[in-house]
Amino acid sequence: MSADTLIPEEPEAPTNRPPSMQRVRLWLQRPYARKVLILTVLIGFLLLPLAWLLLAGMNQTGAPASEIMKDIEQTVFVFTLVSIPITAFVFAVLVYSLIGWRQISGDEPPMQDSPAIRTNTIGVILWTVSSTLLAMFLVVWGLVELAQITANSYGTISADEQPGQKSSEIINVTGQQWVWTFEYPEHNGLTSDILYLPLDRPVYFNVTSKDVIHNFWAVELGVKIDANPGAITQTGVTANKLGTFNVRCAELCGMHHAYMQTQIQVLEQDAFDSWVRESGGKKTS
Amino acid sequence: MSVETAVETKTIFGSEVPQPPQHGAAGGVMRGLNFGTGLVGGIGLAAVAGWITAILTPSSASNASFAPMEPTYVYLAVLLGWVVGFMLGIGAFVGPLRWVVGRDVTHADAEYMAGKDLGRKRYWKYTTDHKVVGIQYLIVTMLLLGFAGLLAMLIRTELGMTWTSLFTPAFYNSMIGTHGIAMIIGMIVVVSGPLGNFIVPMMIGARDMAFPRLNALSLWLFVAAVPMLVSSMFMGGIQDGWSVYQPLASQAPVGMLGYQMTIIVFAISTAVASVNLMTTILTMRAKGMTWSRTPIFVYGIFAASIMGLYAFPFFQYSQILGLADRVFATSFFDPLNGGSVWLYENLFWLLGHPEVYVILIPSTAVALELMPVFLRKPLFSFNFAVAGIVGVVALSGLVWAHHMYMTGWAPAANYPFMLSTELISIPVGFLVLVAIGTFWRGTAWTRLPLMAVYAVIFNKMIGGVTGVYLSDVPADQYFHGSMFVVAHFHFMLMGAGLFGAMAGIAYFFPKMTGRFLDERTGSIGLWTAFVGFQITFISMFVAGLQGQPRRVLDFDDQFNLSNWISTIGAYVIGIGMLIFLSAIINSWRSGVIASSNPWGSKSLEWQTETPVPLENFPVLPVVTERPYNYGVPDPYEAELDSIDEDLTEKAGTK
Repeated sequence: MSADTLIPEEPEAPTNRPPSMQRVRLWLQRPYARKVLILTVLIGFLLLPLAWLLLAGMNQTGAPASEIMKDIEQTVFVFTLVSIPITAFVFAVLVYSLIGWRQISGDEPPMQDSPAIRTNTIGVILWTVSSTLLAMFLVVWGLVELAQITANSYGTISADEQPGQKSSEIINVTGQQWVWTFEYPEHNGLTSDILYLPLDRPVYFNVTSKDVIHNFWAVELGVKIDANPGAITQTGVTANKLGTFNVRCAELCGMHHAYMQTQIQVLEQDAFDSWVRESGGKKTS
Repeated sequence: MSVETAVETKTIFGSEVPQPPQHGAAGGVMRGLNFGTGLVGGIGLAAVAGWITAILTPSSASNASFAPMEPTYVYLAVLLGWVVGFMLGIGAFVGPLRWVVGRDVTHADAEYMAGKDLGRKRYWKYTTDHKVVGIQYLIVTMLLLGFAGLLAMLIRTELGMTWTSLFTPAFYNSMIGTHGIAMIIGMIVVVSGPLGNFIVPMMIGARDMAFPRLNALSLWLFVAAVPMLVSSMFMGGIQDGWSVYQPLASQAPVGMLGYQMTIIVFAISTAVASVNLMTTILTMRAKGMTWSRTPIFVYGIFAASIMGLYAFPFFQYSQILGLADRVFATSFFDPLNGGSVWLYENLFWLLGHPEVYVILIPSTAVALELMPVFLRKPLFSFNFAVAGIVGVVALSGLVWAHHMYMTGWAPAANYPFMLSTELISIPVGFLVLVAIGTFWRGTAWTRLPLMAVYAVIFNKMIGGVTGVYLSDVPADQYFHGSMFVVAHFHFMLMGAGLFGAMAGIAYFFPKMTGRFLDERTGSIGLWTAFVGFQITFISMFVAGLQGQPRRVLDFDDQFNLSNWISTIGAYVIGIGMLIFLSAIINSWRSGVIASSNPWGSKSLEWQTETPVPLENFPVLPVVTERPYNYGVPDPYEAELDSIDEDLTEKAGTK
């Protein structure tokens, strides 16, 4: 007797359950399901302004003043939008369980139990798939943005750069308790305690510390890196907005950590050159 | 030599049980020891050790920066003397010392150590009964959290008074450091200590923990560690935040030794407690309690124990090395002499990240444990709850460097660490699914414990979503080291962790004390604290978005408004917490008497009588069904079944 004779000849038996799509349709007809979904949408729209409010908070002192900061804000904006639906759904269930499904108070345990829902395959699969997709989206977005920011900050000096036409600027940033010092090695080692930056030109920072760990945070430019004693960390930025911005220390560095802050002045190239000249540095040739 | 003696028997629960022969008489010095003798021993030995060290140290001894070394040596000797003297004085070494001299701890001694017939005195002794240890943990933890909360009030007062300065920068820094580490230690203990010890053995149907004496050891080491932390406030303080980054910490005054010794001792306590809990859960579950019949809270405590067991040694090493740098002039973390600051950061965060799950998982598990009881339906998708906990434990050790994105340690490592960190949102999402699935269509019995769960889930969503920004390197480039981070982890550790602990305490209060936690006062306290919490930390998010760095005592005027609001909120939290505390104290003394199973739970710990007898169960229970067997058949399922029949008929007639 060969194996294939074991296969039954009659057509497949009818399924015992309605197909999934129909189950979902039936589910949507239940009153509470619709109400929770409507509540989700309502709460979602209530939360929506957050996406802009967060950026408004970040932009109070003139940010974004660089492409990096723009990327950061874009990330914050997208992440807020992405997390609103799931947050709204959870909040909707919490709210509906207080106002929609029956609730009782009192000293004695409820007389009647609730429906014994041990699991729900469709719900669980939906949740797992959507949360995994969401996490994957966040990861991919983050990796791409990180690569882009890294290119923007550490990017190699561009190939079309001609000798004598330097387009970039190098600044040695040194933290010590509790001041920042900015040295311009390409201008006779000119030093300053205010960070002067030329507009629209890439600047590379070599950051280090003389004593403890500090953190060089150019707030509106979205630059942040630790200043470690005994090591040099590197980053960079191209400021694309004129104005006065803030440098703060973002790592506790002792007593006067709070006062370890200074200004950033982003200047036009001409103004930057004249600042260099007046402060005794060599003009960019 | 003949050992033929009449075998003694004893009547235990109605049957004659032969007793093993005992060597040596019962009693001895152990019976006179208690917390008081512990204090005498600790202070006495500390004084003697400090005095001898002061005599032996040449007054000219100084370190490389010409600072005198005598205070360092004396303070270290005092701290060591305190720990050893206290543990000796309270009788922690009675068991081992008996072995050394060849005497047994007799059965009568063991019963005495378990606190049999000692009444209230047993709470002041080296008692091995897990229920006594649980209560002791609860009291000590509440004291520690109260101390740290007081510091939080002072910090917010300073930050709210933007027009003046209350404290010197040095004292302010020492307050934030002490507040941080005291809260972290308190929060690590607050669920696993009181509830893990009191409830878990009963929940799995055991008579006690696997190692009762180690249980007492872990508690009293914790008790010995706390005064060292407090003492450092008077020795110049911990001025470097709770993370005490090197080399800043090497500049700190001698108070840093208090921090280092606290961590070294507390890590031993944690290791002992973790091993004890894990062994108990693995080997002492009641007959029939398979893994699928084990309540989710037990999983939560087990997970916290695993993570504590592997994470705390890193912390301990880092502090031992830091202590060596300070006392013996080694240079593990001194970059000028070949040390590495990044080494410290790695060791520290190898603790630091698992540690937040050590706090969060037990409180989440408490919430999941009590939800089915108050919603009268099974826990939704038990397997997913377990998968969520397993997933968090598995990933917990792979994410630590997300605290170091901006350190410049390894920029290329930011990519994998961002990946692993964001993956954690998947298992955490499972836990959220289980919670909302359990709420789904449940009749909410809106008592205090369940209401606290609403607060926990709300806070956890906010903390979780803001955590996603911080896990992302580009966004972290703005948020790292800002008040945004502070607000985020307070939402997680306090909003989810502490409110979860409050839910757990309110839920298990009738079992632990025999009385209800007063519903009215407790609820007023809870919701006052909740409202204050939102005010404080949402405005702290705003300050962070505006660009305020953390750990500053003074700041630009643009941050004034959010800091004022935050301070007002902090006072509201303080008032709420005091109300909740008064509810605990009053209910403990004169609350409404509760029956042995007031919530109508089906779990084992509620099936024994209240107050719980010494060995919990007269007859060890046998488990025959899954946990959370509440609920009635779903009416909608019946409807679906009828549709099924229709469809089957239609298919048949085709």
